[in-house]
Amino acid sequence: MFSERDFAKLIQRTLLAGVFLSSLLLLAGFAAALAGASAGAPLLKAGVLAIILTPAARVAMLVYGYWRSGEHYFALASFIVLGLLAVSLLV
Amino acid sequence: MNAELTLLHFAGLPAFGVLIGLLGSVLGVGGGIFMVPFLVLALDVPIHQAVAVSLAAIVATSSAVAAVNVERGLANIRLGITLEVTTAVGSILGALVAHRLPANAVQLLFGLTLLPVSGLMFLKGKRSLKAGAAPAAAAGGKATAFDSGFFDPAVNGQTSYGVRNMAPASFISFFAGSLSGLLGIGGGVVQVPVMNLLCGVPMKAAAATSNFIIGVSAAASAYVYFRKGFVPLELTALTVAGVLAGSFIGIKLLYRARSEKLQIVFSALTLLVALKMLTGAF
Repeated sequence: MFSERDFAKLIQRTLLAGVFLSSLLLLAGFAAALAGASAGAPLLKAGVLAIILTPAARVAMLVYGYWRSGEHYFALASFIVLGLLAVSLLV
Repeated sequence: MNAELTLLHFAGLPAFGVLIGLLGSVLGVGGGIFMVPFLVLALDVPIHQAVAVSLAAIVATSSAVAAVNVERGLANIRLGITLEVTTAVGSILGALVAHRLPANAVQLLFGLTLLPVSGLMFLKGKRSLKAGAAPAAAAGGKATAFDSGFFDPAVNGQTSYGVRNMAPASFISFFAGSLSGLLGIGGGVVQVPVMNLLCGVPMKAAAATSNFIIGVSAAASAYVYFRKGFVPLELTALTVAGVLAGSFIGIKLLYRARSEKLQIVFSALTLLVALKMLTGAF
């Protein structure tokens, strides 16, 4: 059974994963930039992308979670928000 | 577009980011109202780029703080995702309009927006210092799917509340979102009072839910800025690193701090920043 608690955990893990991934990439990027390696800028860019994409990943998890718990109204709302985020990536 | 990076950037940005992270974790706001002026006034960053940096910083605080608030059951996710629909629309439109506006127009709008924000913060801080209580829960209203509750360590018990006025709240959220896109502020300064005063959500839950919402509104505008090439990489990376550190320190240290007194101090600071931005626009 997919409980409210499991759901909260899923959301929390998604957010933390994004935050830690971004922190790691940024730290690696700074280290590379200070060492004069050419990998610095791409790593920093990946770090910034990782953090700004984290909310989108969180919304995707909401779609999944509400769909699984049968709350179709909220699954739909989450799906619309995900769609809007996709639109903002394209405009 | 690459501003020359100085020692000031390297020392100042992460340090300021830590401060913003602290603010976000305590008050449930993204801190954009201080981030943007700091970049523009202290570091001479062009305002469109400052807005972009601020948006990324807001996403960072929101994500770090929301992870903890969701676990504590403070953030009302059903309420959050519903308000996010209109917020995201506003946020995208705001960002599209902003990049067509000249820099001093954006700066003028920013200053003008900050004036009422400063007043709201002052009143809110003063009111909660006096009353110390959120509006009474769910008296008389019919139950909705948004009703929720959370464990409040301050009263050592479960606090339940009903949510009302969803339609006007969604409408106002649209404008909160457009502020995000236009000015690089998350809109938390609008969302928190709306949820607290209009919907009847207790302050703590309102702050947590606002924090949850502004992650999406800032991300939606951030994508637009990123696509248009307005995101200065090094500045953003330094700021985000500082903000992430500050958010985690804030969550650990300041969770139980009284936010009301802070709010009065911040309202004065906001007023000062508003005046500085307004005079800078001309």
